[in-house]
Amino acid sequence: MPTGPIPILKIGSTLLVTIQIELHDTVVDSFQEDVLEEIEKSGASGLIIDISALETVDSYVARTLANTGKMAKLMGTETVIVGMRPAVAATLVRMGYFMEGIHTALSLEEGLEVLGSQAKVPDTE
Amino acid sequence: MEILKLDEGELKRRLAFFELSDDDFQRLATLKSFAERWTHEITDGLYELIMAQPESRAFFLDQATLARVKKLQNTYFLGLFTGNYDLNYVRDRLRVGAAHERIGMPPKLYLGAYRRYLALIHSRLLEYFKGNAAEAAKALESIRKIIFFDMALAIDTYIAAYLETMTRHQAAIRELSTPVIKVHDRILLLPIVGTVDTQRAQQIMETVLVQVVDQQARVMILDIAGVPVVDTRVADHILKTTAAVQLLGAQSILTGISASVARTVIQLGVEITRVHTRSKLSEGIELALSIVGKKIGSKTARAGSEEA
Repeated sequence: MPTGPIPILKIGSTLLVTIQIELHDTVVDSFQEDVLEEIEKSGASGLIIDISALETVDSYVARTLANTGKMAKLMGTETVIVGMRPAVAATLVRMGYFMEGIHTALSLEEGLEVLGSQAKVPDTE
Repeated sequence: MEILKLDEGELKRRLAFFELSDDDFQRLATLKSFAERWTHEITDGLYELIMAQPESRAFFLDQATLARVKKLQNTYFLGLFTGNYDLNYVRDRLRVGAAHERIGMPPKLYLGAYRRYLALIHSRLLEYFKGNAAEAAKALESIRKIIFFDMALAIDTYIAAYLETMTRHQAAIRELSTPVIKVHDRILLLPIVGTVDTQRAQQIMETVLVQVVDQQARVMILDIAGVPVVDTRVADHILKTTAAVQLLGAQSILTGISASVARTVIQLGVEITRVHTRSKLSEGIELALSIVGKKIGSKTARAGSEEA
């Protein structure tokens, strides 16, 4: 299982984070820090978090993900969570997390669509 | 057998509860000659009772059937005295019970017939032991134990058969209760009909979410026109489902909201702002189409639009 920081990719003005490891409390804390720093550094207008590899999400992770989105928004960055699994969605609503203020999309492609014109795909750069 | 979980351990527990010991097994084995001597008379006595009542007679209307079941009855009776009561014995007894359940013989007749059976056995035992009441009583006690053991198995097969039917029906109802329909490219519809309890609500949520992801649906329409009563709990379940759909990245539309449901929901103070709502399903479908960038139009620009 890979450890260490979760890689943050930059495509145009969009940051892409694919979470492929189970999120423990310490990992999720440093993930939030890294993402926010990257937003500050790059001035990205959109953030896509792909959680399709996550089979379970606990309340701490859910709260941190939701808060990260809100914090990003304060910095002018829209967040889209993509690829959430049915079981994860069911757990989140049962715990009362509705992820207000954060966009969601079925796939990465649609996540980019949601960000719309803000997502500058590399070929125009 | 599977439902009853009849393994070696269970067999031991059953035998112990009916207080069937090696003494009984040996005594039963020694009564074999008694059984062979009297089995035909006892069977005939039993069928006297059965044929005397219209309700029980109805199961044995022709002579061929009667002759066959009497023969089986003799085999059954002799089986009581083999002295060998293992899982094969249990399996055989379950078959007997299952056969009676299959033809629809109600347990009251089954148990009632056993009562006559024991009485017949008792009087023949007295004869066999030539009035030695103590010996006859001992023999009867052993026979009573094994017969009650058999009766328990028979009743268990009845219950197991009913349980199986019930499980099958429940599965059928579950399947029927969440028919997710593909209305159009990337638009799904779930008409909810009937009462929504917690278990069904969970199943609805599960089915809906899996379908949305599997079919990559953009819009999920939940039509609740067929839900008789929408109280706080039902509303909460449905709204949780729509919220979860949204978390997946699809939109949800709630349709079939009648005036009374609208009134209840607002009076109950259920917050319903996160989801698109429409009163009619057709309006919901129109909205869904507009979300995926399509619309319903009439064939000709103006004529015929009234009819369509």
